[in-house]
Amino acid sequence: MKRRKFLKSLLAVLGSTTVVSFAYPLVRFIAPPGKKAEAERLSLRKDEIPAGESKEIVFNNTPAIIINRPGKGYIALSKVCTHLGCLVEFNKEKGSLICPCHAGEFNLDGKVLSGPPPKPLAEFPLRVEGESIIVG
Amino acid sequence: MWQRIRNGLETRIGLEDLIRTKLKRYSVPRNTNIFYTLGGVALAAFIIQAVTGFFLLIYYVPHSDHAFRSVQQIMTSVPYGWLFRLMHVVGGNLIVAVVFLHMLSVFFMGSYKKPRELTWVAGWLMLLVVLTFSLSGYLLPWSQLSYWTTTVVTAMPTTFPYVGDYIANVLRGGEFVSGVTLNRFFALHVALLPPILVLLMVVHIFLIRRIGLSSPPFGEQAEKAEPWNEYRHVSYPDGYSFYPYFVLKELYMVLIYLVIMFFIITFVPTLFLPEGANIPADPLKTPAYIKPQWYFLAPYQMLKLIPNKFLGISIQLFLVGMFILWPFFDTKPERNILKRPLLLATFMASLLLWVVLTIWGRSS
Repeated sequence: MKRRKFLKSLLAVLGSTTVVSFAYPLVRFIAPPGKKAEAERLSLRKDEIPAGESKEIVFNNTPAIIINRPGKGYIALSKVCTHLGCLVEFNKEKGSLICPCHAGEFNLDGKVLSGPPPKPLAEFPLRVEGESIIVG
Repeated sequence: MWQRIRNGLETRIGLEDLIRTKLKRYSVPRNTNIFYTLGGVALAAFIIQAVTGFFLLIYYVPHSDHAFRSVQQIMTSVPYGWLFRLMHVVGGNLIVAVVFLHMLSVFFMGSYKKPRELTWVAGWLMLLVVLTFSLSGYLLPWSQLSYWTTTVVTAMPTTFPYVGDYIANVLRGGEFVSGVTLNRFFALHVALLPPILVLLMVVHIFLIRRIGLSSPPFGEQAEKAEPWNEYRHVSYPDGYSFYPYFVLKELYMVLIYLVIMFFIITFVPTLFLPEGANIPADPLKTPAYIKPQWYFLAPYQMLKLIPNKFLGISIQLFLVGMFILWPFFDTKPERNILKRPLLLATFMASLLLWVVLTIWGRSS
């Protein structure tokens, strides 16, 4: 191998090694650290949410809402709109959840009624034990 | 004193020769119009943003617990803080308008055509950097408007499979917009974007000087539509000197820019600061009728109209990509758009559509 060619190859190897050794830590550095799965549990009294009413909570760091649907019982839904992440608002008169950003509308089961959201609102596990509502 | 400085510079760097060859002998076509000054106005606007941004940095605290209050203090307690903040806010909107107008005029005059494709691409990249500046700067006051606009924008990448969530998480520094996001956007706004923009400006101006200014394709002195097969410098021996004639014209336009800026600051100071901009960020409450800045209203309205998020964002990315690479698709040597009715009609229809979507987005 000629001296010039050897130097070129050496430069390529050293250059690539430098780029890779810098790029990998950079990617790890800017990515947020992984979240640990949280097993949060939240308890409320049933009389806090009369039929047709709702209560806003924060569950597992996510803004959420518990709705007492007339005739269908309680449901805990994430308030984060599945379109672009704004928080939906409970509209008592219309009996739906409406996103103020792009007018997406969900029914009280979290299903999409209209607008651009691609999927239903996330639902959190909820059960009723005696006089308590337990989310999680 | 002044003469001694001049003599000193003359001895060391040949100042006279520099001015003669780079400014006085550098001539611009005689039929240049007012739109040719918009590049210079954009440069001046950027300098104003950099200077006022530096002043704001002296008092601004980039922390989610203090950011909103520090901005309020700049507006109410710091002597003339309101002036520098409003200059920065109004300037941030006007610079986008100037760059838009500059690009529209370049497109209309066919100045993007061979051999100036790279100048056009550099210009487009600068527009994207300016828009990123504006997005990152929007979060810094940590108001309701800032918070929720950033939430929407950083959620956009999630539309793409596999990498979308990762990109959104990197932008936000977590699942939701938080203090971590504020730090990231602050770093981007003050440390990363300025050198990138300066670098692109250097490339842009280098290309203009290296190739030579294009002349308008209209009128008697129009540049002929000739095939371009090898490098040559376009010069105008019978044109106007860049200095002082063209520089004065640019200065005149920069003053008009400042008049518009101070008119807005004086008579409509809240034009770019709607109600949500004065309420501290509340991550648990999205305000009703949240609207992006005027220049994002068209894409915002488009996203509302297109039911499929992936399709909506993909169409927008496709359009941006197409505009950036447009000179490589439009290879006809004819630069006069008036002689190309189809292109003219498409141009006018696109412009009209953008205006309609903007107005619709504002009122819907």
